[in-house]
Amino acid sequence: MADVTLRDVSKSFGKTQAVSDLSLAIPNGAFVVLLGPTGAGKTTTLRLISGLEAPDRGEVLIDGRSVLRETPAQRNVTMVFQQYSLYPHLSVRDNLAFPLRSPILRTPEDAIARKVGAVAEVLRISHKLDNKATQLSGGEMQRVSIGRALVRDPAIHLMDEPLSSLDARLRAELRIELKRIQEDLGATLLYVTHDQIEAMTMATHVGVLDQGRLVQFAPPREIYEDPVSLYVATRLGLPRINTLPADLFPGAPSGARFIGLRPEHILQGTGQPSEVIRMEHLGDQTRLHLRLAGHEIVTLTDAHSGLESGDRILIAPRDPLYFDAAGRRVA
Amino acid sequence: MSHTPIERVAASTPPAIASRVRGLSDRTLAWIFVAPTIFLLLAVNIFPLVWTIRLSLTNYRANRAGAELEWVGLRNYTRILTDPDIWQTMQATAHFLIWTILLQVLIGFTLAWLINRKFRGNDLWTTIIVLPMMLSPAVVGNFWTFLYQPQIGLFNYAVSFVTGIDPSSFSMIGSVELAPWAIVIVDTWMWTPFVMLICLAGLRSIPDYIYEAAAIDRASPWRQFWTITLPMVLPFLMLAVLFRGIENFKMFDLVVQLTGGGPGSTTELTSINLKREAFEKWRTGYASAYAIILFVTVFGLASIYVKALNKVKER
Repeated sequence: MADVTLRDVSKSFGKTQAVSDLSLAIPNGAFVVLLGPTGAGKTTTLRLISGLEAPDRGEVLIDGRSVLRETPAQRNVTMVFQQYSLYPHLSVRDNLAFPLRSPILRTPEDAIARKVGAVAEVLRISHKLDNKATQLSGGEMQRVSIGRALVRDPAIHLMDEPLSSLDARLRAELRIELKRIQEDLGATLLYVTHDQIEAMTMATHVGVLDQGRLVQFAPPREIYEDPVSLYVATRLGLPRINTLPADLFPGAPSGARFIGLRPEHILQGTGQPSEVIRMEHLGDQTRLHLRLAGHEIVTLTDAHSGLESGDRILIAPRDPLYFDAAGRRVA
Repeated sequence: MSHTPIERVAASTPPAIASRVRGLSDRTLAWIFVAPTIFLLLAVNIFPLVWTIRLSLTNYRANRAGAELEWVGLRNYTRILTDPDIWQTMQATAHFLIWTILLQVLIGFTLAWLINRKFRGNDLWTTIIVLPMMLSPAVVGNFWTFLYQPQIGLFNYAVSFVTGIDPSSFSMIGSVELAPWAIVIVDTWMWTPFVMLICLAGLRSIPDYIYEAAAIDRASPWRQFWTITLPMVLPFLMLAVLFRGIENFKMFDLVVQLTGGGPGSTTELTSINLKREAFEKWRTGYASAYAIILFVTVFGLASIYVKALNKVKER
C-alpha cells in the first residue's frame, strides 16, 4: 500500500483535452471516489496512474517516487475495467490466479490456491471456479474481474465503475463487502462511479471532476453539505438539489443569482405559498412535487401527510446554498 | 378499410396470385423454395459420386464406351492399395502437404503479427503481400519456371547472390532432390498471404483491453503471447490449415505448369497421377476407384479435424 500523487497532470487525445492540470493527493489507505459526468476525465485519470497512458505534462508519484518511466507491471497497481476484461479461454480459477503466476512474484502454487479460494468466497463465486470465463453471467464476470485485483497486494487499486453492471441487490452487498475489505487490508483505492450511494458510503474522500479539472476534493459529507459550486452540488443528492432564482425567497446575499435547496432543506408551513403538483410514494420516502412562481421544486414529506395535487402549502428554505451567475458558491 | 402497412401489402397482391398461393401450406412453400438447390446438388454432386462408385467396380474405359462392361468387384481397389508407385505419389503428396502447411502457418502468422502492429502504411503492405494470391495458379506455375531457370532465372541468381554458389550449377525443377522443394516454395509464396489474412482477422478480434489487463497483471510480452494471443488465434489458424490442407491435397494446376510431375515422378502428386490414369491411360474404372479412395481419405481426415477444431473453439 502506498500514497499516490498526481501533480499538474495533463493529457489530450487529438483535440480532446481529457485531463488538464490535475493535481490529486491520495493518502495511504484512503478510499477516493472520482465523480463526474461522462467525459470528465475519470477513466483517463485511472489510466494515467496505471501507466496505460502517458501524460503530456505533469508528474505521477507513487510513494513519492516518479513512476513515469515505469511500465504498468513495474508500478504494481491493479485495475478493474468497466468491460469484463477476463481471459476468455481460461477458467475462473486460472483467471484469478493469473496475476499471482507472474514470474516477478514466484508465488508457490498452494499459496495461490489458498488466496484464490479466499477471494472467491468473499465474492461468492466459489461454485464457479472451474467454469470457463465465457460461461458466466455479466455480474459473475465482473466479480471475477474484481477478484483478480483483490488477490494482489498492490500500491493502489484502480476501479472503473466496477459495480455498475451488477443488479441492485448484489451491488448493495458488494458495496459493503468492498468497503470492509478495503478497511481490513488498509488498501488504497481510487474508484470511479456515477452512483451517489457508492460515493457517500464508501469514500473517505470524493474528488469531483469537470472537463478534466478537479473542482473539489473533500470528504463526502463536505462535498454534500459545503459544495464549492453549483456543478459540485448537483453531483450528489437524490432527488437532485433544487436550483431556483435567488430572489424567490427573501434574504439572498448580494451577488447571489441562484439558490440551491436540497429536498430535505425545505421547511413546510411558513414562507411562500406553493401548489402541490403530485406525490410520489417510493415506500421509504415520499416525494412532493411543488410549483412556486412557475418553478418546479421537489421535496420530501411524510407518507401520511394527506396532501393531494392542487393543495397549497407554505414553504421556506433552511440552510440554503447561494451561487453567483457563474455557478460559484457565494454563501 | 385496411390501415396497417401489412394489410395494405396484402390487399395490393393481385387476386389471381393471392388465390393460387393461398392454397399452399408453409411446408409446401418451404419445399418449393428449397427444391431447385436440392435438385442441383443431386445432379452435380450426388449423382456423379454414385456413378463413380458404380464405375469403380467395373473395368470401364471411357475411350471404348461401346465395349461390354465387366464387373470386377473390389479388384481395382486392391490393385491401387498394393501398387508401390501409388504409394510413392502419396509420399510426394504428404511431403508437399506437410511442408507447405508448416511454412505457410509459420510465415503467415509472423507476417500477420507484424502487420497487426500499428504503423504507418500497414494497409499498403497488406495489399502488397496479398497480391500473389490474386493470380491464377497456372500463371504462377508458368512464370516460376522462368524464375527457376538456371541461366537467366531470378531465383537462382538470388540464391547465388546470398550463398555464392554458381547459379547455373543447380536446377530447382530439373533435379530429383530439389524439385519437391521447388513446388513447396512456389505454393508457399502464393498462399502464405491467405494464412496471413485469416490470422490477421484472428489477431484483430482480440480486444485491446485484454492486453491492458494482462500488462497490469504483470504478464510479460512473452507470457501475453502464449496465454492470450496464441490461444485466441488458434481457432483461426486451424481453419486456415483446414482450407490449405484440402486445397493442397487436390493440388493440380500449379504443379502441372511448373514441373509436370517430373523429373521422373518425384513431384507427381496424387491428383496428377489420377488424371494420367483417367485421361491418358483411359483406365476409367481403375481411376474411379482411385478417386473414391482419395475422397474417403480427405473426407475422413477433414471430419476428424473439424471435430478437433470445434473442441478448440469451445475452450
